[in-house]
Amino acid sequence: MSVGTYNSSDIKKGLKLEIDGYPWSIVDFQFVKPGKGQAFNRIRMKNLITGQVVERTYKIVESFQVADVEEVQMEFLYHDGDGYNFMNQESFEQVAIQKDVVGDSANFLLENMKCAVLFYKGRPVSLELPNFVELLITYCEPGVKGNTATGTTKNATVSTGAQVAVPLFIEQGETIKVDTRTGDYVERVRR
Amino acid sequence: MTVDPAGLRARAQALAAVRRWFDHHGYLEVPTPVLVPAPAMEAQLHAVSAGNGWLRTSPEFALKRVLAAGLPRIYEVGPCFRDRERGRWHGREFTMLEWYRAGAELTDLMDEVEALVAVTCAALGVVAPASRHDTRPTAAGQWRRVGVRALFRACTGVDLAHATIGEISPDDETWSDAFFRRWVADVEPQLTGPTFVDDWPASQAALARTYTDGAFPTAGRFEVYLGGVELGNAFFELIDAAEQARRFGASNAERIAFGEAPHPVDPAFVAAVGQMPRSAGIAVGVDRLVAAVSGWPGIAPGRVAVAEGAR
Repeated sequence: MSVGTYNSSDIKKGLKLEIDGYPWSIVDFQFVKPGKGQAFNRIRMKNLITGQVVERTYKIVESFQVADVEEVQMEFLYHDGDGYNFMNQESFEQVAIQKDVVGDSANFLLENMKCAVLFYKGRPVSLELPNFVELLITYCEPGVKGNTATGTTKNATVSTGAQVAVPLFIEQGETIKVDTRTGDYVERVRR
Repeated sequence: MTVDPAGLRARAQALAAVRRWFDHHGYLEVPTPVLVPAPAMEAQLHAVSAGNGWLRTSPEFALKRVLAAGLPRIYEVGPCFRDRERGRWHGREFTMLEWYRAGAELTDLMDEVEALVAVTCAALGVVAPASRHDTRPTAAGQWRRVGVRALFRACTGVDLAHATIGEISPDDETWSDAFFRRWVADVEPQLTGPTFVDDWPASQAALARTYTDGAFPTAGRFEVYLGGVELGNAFFELIDAAEQARRFGASNAERIAFGEAPHPVDPAFVAAVGQMPRSAGIAVGVDRLVAAVSGWPGIAPGRVAVAEGAR
């Protein structure tokens, strides 16, 4: 076994492997051995570029290359014609990340926000925002005072330009906390 | 070391009920050696070596010699060892329940498995699945019986009798690899109810008789599944010594092809095969039986196990 190679039997959760030209993160695995057959590893893994989660079955004797991936803490600077510009927190090097890589994360990206950027073979391939972000409401219909009923919502535009479904009592000019993983309103932030 | 008092209590209650069942049905408990001079031959079984021999992977060889010596109903409960097997449903050391019955057919053993699961369920206060012979299923479902070929076709759309290796699994080069990869990925996960799977491919007969006429040659063998887990494996026993010797030779050739050391053949066992009565036998994993009936996510609660790192 050479350095950077893993046998299927040594798989661990969170391990990042190169399979079929993509980097994958191991989500879960189970040793399976049919009575009269050879042993397999049933592996759930997440594609680090597309986010797709799949289950695959590998013989226990099959081996994998470790994926050439690196997670780097970066600060978002600004958005321009070249894409979304980030700065490496350690080297201060700047990188422009294309819109298709940033994807829906652009909805909640704020200047100076610290993000985890995943590089695959030296190329940025995905972006992870902080789980929660505070956003200013730049437009919404006037609030209905005292209406704290849950379940009824209205659309609000936040400072990034994104739309968030908020409760009826929320007013324009207020700040709200949003879960970046789901895009859901969490709570009102009192200033 | 992990100790789960409730798990160990459940295991002890189940095992006491299982022993009572065998005692009431005319079976004699026979202790056979754990340290053996010749281990199982199958290329996919890895015996742990100890002393000048091996720790048994099952009590099969010894119990068959007892059967050949004239005891018609025998069983054993005891530790067995299989190297390179670890996981939620596997331990390198585990407890096997194995029994043999002269004159029995595989359907008789299916009935006995149903009865044993029922007494285990009763001991643990769990509703047992209804028998294959009952007309009304219970809350725990009803035992069903299905052949490998029909099951494989239902789960994958592939007819094993006619499909090429590439049609079974495009990533594999041997029939065995292709079969088992699809089995593990697409068939076994669908075996959620209590099920007997029989008519296995003749190439996977091990120590069972084979039926080689027809489009899909089969072995006289079934596996039993409960709660998605394989509990055991039964044979309609091979009683032809010459055929047994030939299969051992083939197993050793396969072992060498897989890069494993060949194993010694015990001539006393081969001779005993020729003296065995027409019979059927089955091995059931006790740790899995208790876990599957209890609804545990693996065998751990019923075992006292040293930490993984101390293997």
